[in-house]
Amino acid sequence: MTWPSGVVSVPPMTSMPVEIAEPAVIEPDLVDPELDEAISTDKPWIVIVWNDPVNLMSYVVYVLQELFGYSREKATRLMLAVHHEGKAVVADGTREQCEGHVGRLHGRGLWATMEHPA
Amino acid sequence: MSRRFVRKGAGLRLTLAEDERDLLVHLPDELRTLYRSDPDDPAVQRLFPRAYLDPTEDEAEAVWRALQHPELLRQRIDAIDRLAMVLADGTVDRKGRVHVDLAEDDVPALLRVLNDARLTLGTRLEVTDETDLAAIDPDDPRAPAFIAYGWLTYLEGELVEVLLGELPG
Repeated sequence: MTWPSGVVSVPPMTSMPVEIAEPAVIEPDLVDPELDEAISTDKPWIVIVWNDPVNLMSYVVYVLQELFGYSREKATRLMLAVHHEGKAVVADGTREQCEGHVGRLHGRGLWATMEHPA
Repeated sequence: MSRRFVRKGAGLRLTLAEDERDLLVHLPDELRTLYRSDPDDPAVQRLFPRAYLDPTEDEAEAVWRALQHPELLRQRIDAIDRLAMVLADGTVDRKGRVHVDLAEDDVPALLRVLNDARLTLGTRLEVTDETDLAAIDPDDPRAPAFIAYGWLTYLEGELVEVLLGELPG
C-alpha cells in the first residue's frame, strides 16, 4: 500500500522550517539513581523507550512530563539518553504497571518495550 | 508565543492558510483507512508495536495485545473523529485565514493525529536521523510527501512548544 494521494497532493507553505533539531544543552547523565536503586533491590520490570527518527525531541520531553509527571530536567535527560544512546529506561514497576506504561506510550506514538532485567 | 496557536479559554485557536487546512482535512480519512489495513503494514506496526521484545514472552504479548489494542485503536479513532469535527467547524476570515477553535479535549486529539500522521509518513518515506528535508530533489516523486511531512513537523513543533510552556520548567 502507498500513502493515499490526498496528503501528498498539497504543496503549501513558505514558512516551513527545514531544520527540525532543537537546541538542548544538558549533560548526558544516563543513569537515573532512583531507577538504579529500585532495580537493585526489587528487580522490577523496566520500560524502555527506543530512539526513532520521527518523534520530535520536544514531543518526547512533553510526553515524559505529561505521562510520568517528571521535571523538565529529568524528562530532558531521558530524552537525550534515548537520542544519543538509542534507548533509555523511563519507568519501572510491576509487570502490570509496566504493561500500562507501555500502552500509554504507544498511544502517544513513542516506541516503547518492557523487559525484566536478568 | 506561537504564531499558529493562541490560548482561548481552556482550549486553543489554531490559524491556518486554506491549503494547510486542506492538508489536515485529509488526515482523518487516511489514518482511518490505515487502521483498517494489513496489520503487517510497517506503518501499522510502527503505531501498534510489540510491548515485549523477548520471544519467550509471546504469550504475555498476546494477552497484552488483546487487552490494549482495542483501547489504543479506540483512542486513535476518537482523535481523528474529533479533528474531523473541529476542522469542519473552522471559519474563514476576509483575508482567507482559517480559524479552528480547539476545545480543551480537542488539543491532545490534534497532537495525537499530527504525530500519528508523521509516524506514518515517516515510515513510508523511510525517514532517518540523516534525512535532510532541505536536500530533497523537487523532481523526486516523493517530494510532495516530504513537504507535507515537513509541514506537519513544523505544526506539531509549534503545538508542543505551547504545551511545554505550560508545564513546570
